[in-house]
Amino acid sequence: MSKKNKFFFIDCSKAADCCNKAQYEEANFLDKAKLYIHLAFCKTCRKFSQRNSKLTDLLHKSKIEHCPEEKKQQWREEIKKEFAEERT
Amino acid sequence: MSANTLDPNKWVDRYSDYLFNYTIVRVNNREVANDLISETFLAALKSAKNFKGEASERTWLISILKRKIIDYYRKINSRKGKAEVKINYSDDFNDGEWLEEQVADQFDKTAEDEMENTELGLAILECLDSINEKHAEIFKRKTIDGADTEAICNEFKITPSNLWVIIHRARTALAACLEKNWF
Repeated sequence: MSKKNKFFFIDCSKAADCCNKAQYEEANFLDKAKLYIHLAFCKTCRKFSQRNSKLTDLLHKSKIEHCPEEKKQQWREEIKKEFAEERT
Repeated sequence: MSANTLDPNKWVDRYSDYLFNYTIVRVNNREVANDLISETFLAALKSAKNFKGEASERTWLISILKRKIIDYYRKINSRKGKAEVKINYSDDFNDGEWLEEQVADQFDKTAEDEMENTELGLAILECLDSINEKHAEIFKRKTIDGADTEAICNEFKITPSNLWVIIHRARTALAACLEKNWF
């Protein structure tokens, strides 16, 4: 494959990488263009991409929250203290 | 020797997000949720010797948390001296305001959807249990907190390409797990 072709035609692992970045809005224009060119002829990646977008959608819909880190630290200490007392 | 054993020092890392999401949709108040989870951990420690190992650690913690949530509602209701019953249409001042509340719900967004979504959140967290703990943490920081790639790389001392590989594996595992358990 010529250099030019290599530039535009990426393999599946690179496409998956671009696709993942796109889920987090971190793919630049060139990445996206390469991804779409790849998707045009690769059925497996089309399927993967579809699934990936669906997952992003679900993650947004679920509204999961991360528990605040300072609370976690506080609980860790509480448990450690209590656990040590239980043992003695 | 039972199949399930308790490991209190790992509780916070393993289950706090799950418990937090479980509680927040039930009490709808962060402060209260945090207090309830803290109480749950302490109560669990106290009764750890009663743990028979028949259920998983998480199921067991959830069952304690459930009781704590019920207790919480009992307490706030007894403070008022009666169970909370809200009847709106009794005062004369707001005549006609009820009309607004009689409008049909939107078809595309119902209470059931909301409920389904909160359960979905728990299903996602359950699925994340099955992947490597550190990878799950990285995935959560990236996806739920929406943290910067650079920030996470510094925090966990990994390179961006490491990060994307971890994210890729986590997403693939999660998608497969959700397809099995959710759809």
